[in-house]
Amino acid sequence: MLLGIPDPQILIGYGLAVGLALACIVYGYLYWNEEEKTNGS
Amino acid sequence: MAVNPFTMTVLVLIYLAATLVIGYLGYKKTKSSEDYLVAGRCSHPVLIALSYGATFISTSAIIGFGGQAANLGMGLIWLTVLNIGIGILLAFIMFGKKTREIGHRLSAVTFPDLMCKIYKSPMLQYISGFIIVISMPLYTAAILIGGARFIQPTLNISYEGSLILFAVITAIYVVFGGLIAVMYTDAFQGTIMFIGMTVLLVLSYIAVGGITAGNTALTNMANLVPKALADQGMTGWTTMPSLGSPIWFTLVTTIVLGVGIGVLAQPQLVVRFMTAKDNKSLNRAILIGGPFILMMTGVAFTVGALTNVYFFQTSGQLAITAAGGNVDAIMPLFINQAMPDIFVVVFLLTLLAAAMSTLSALYHAMGTALVCDLWGRGRECALSLRHHQYGIIVMMVLSTLLAYLLPISIIARATAMFMGLCAAAFLPAFAVGVYAKVPVTKAALYSMISGAVIWFAWTAFIHVAESKPLGLCQAIFGKASLLPLPWSVVDPIVIALPISMIVMVVMQLQYSKKQPAAPAPAA
Repeated sequence: MLLGIPDPQILIGYGLAVGLALACIVYGYLYWNEEEKTNGS
Repeated sequence: MAVNPFTMTVLVLIYLAATLVIGYLGYKKTKSSEDYLVAGRCSHPVLIALSYGATFISTSAIIGFGGQAANLGMGLIWLTVLNIGIGILLAFIMFGKKTREIGHRLSAVTFPDLMCKIYKSPMLQYISGFIIVISMPLYTAAILIGGARFIQPTLNISYEGSLILFAVITAIYVVFGGLIAVMYTDAFQGTIMFIGMTVLLVLSYIAVGGITAGNTALTNMANLVPKALADQGMTGWTTMPSLGSPIWFTLVTTIVLGVGIGVLAQPQLVVRFMTAKDNKSLNRAILIGGPFILMMTGVAFTVGALTNVYFFQTSGQLAITAAGGNVDAIMPLFINQAMPDIFVVVFLLTLLAAAMSTLSALYHAMGTALVCDLWGRGRECALSLRHHQYGIIVMMVLSTLLAYLLPISIIARATAMFMGLCAAAFLPAFAVGVYAKVPVTKAALYSMISGAVIWFAWTAFIHVAESKPLGLCQAIFGKASLLPLPWSVVDPIVIALPISMIVMVVMQLQYSKKQPAAPAPAA
């Protein structure tokens, strides 16, 4: 039991939620000045 | 609650005044129809992120789904996973950039207008506009109810009065300032929401004795799960429901999938992509959007579940019992009873901000759909500011009337219904439309119609949570649902979305070689 939560499915959910929020920060930082592509559909 | 009414009134008035002043700044910047409809297509990344996030997160997420977490437990955190993974990362990277590029190139100003121009089909514009005008008032009404439920006891005014106050004040700056005013005020309101939810998380864990102690106390309450819920598969508030049980289906299919996927094709959010000047703006918005959503839904669902610990420790009752059986009343009651007086004010402002930011976006989306995509399509008035203002007022009145009529505990359900319909009707046609080199009109039409019709049929005749209160199935067939368990608890999105997707893909593959590639419009 981690942080009082016994179910790994709940813990994985919290881990993924925090991890994805961090991924957003990393993506935004890495592509801060992304060059524009000129293609369209 | 012992908040000084004078202090409360003054702070609320300051907030409302600030909102109206910011809305006025947006109004002053609105010079053309493009400004009114897509904020001039040059919004700042911070504005896009906070506007998208604040529009995405409403009182439904905080009050409605927070209350659901009190009822169903921390399994709702999986909705936060989808909110960030799909609602931010996938939405911005996979759809946002393409939508912005195509929207700019085709000069699309609304979601139905975008669909019409991608597929070169006015019929698609009519159908998607019609779906928006018919279904969005339901979601709007749910948000109005969420805000009014908190305002009513806090300001000690009638429920009807709080509904009208809420609706009218929000409509004022939307009607006059258009999308620029909406996005300016969204950013202001999003900032208040972020501060409010952060404070709520900290104070809630303090109220239940800390993170581990609070969670452990909640875990130890598993034996208190009401028999009715236990019989349907609930195992506790810190564990997932039993796999395949009715509550598992409700949690996973209606709440997590229905809302988590539904966000991808919400017209009021898709328009936000078209306000970005370039893709850099969208990348920068992602950096803010992810943490913002984590602090909104992640906190609401965690605190919602923990309210059980607080109410049990203070009154020996579960949260749902303390709230008189009304799921939508749990979070407001917890805030009023457990939080320091000053935070009750902060949270009132947070809720006002959450509701107003989403309401304003929905008013704008409904009003422009009514005028630009239905009534005035192809006519000069389709881009008339005056007519859009009338359209917004009409839809505001309709939504407020609907809010009076809806039953209790409806917030989360109505939100999930709207998002499920959006996904089933719009998502396949939208996704293929922004990526296909030769978007097939017939495929989009059939996909949209099949998604909407199947979603409605499943809602009215199979999914017992809606078919029972609707009563249509009972009136025609003499029973609440045409199918037995587990089908009667499977959310319509799980059926309607795959079918509309299959229709879209099969017809797209079949007809894409027959339909000539449309020449790219001039930039």
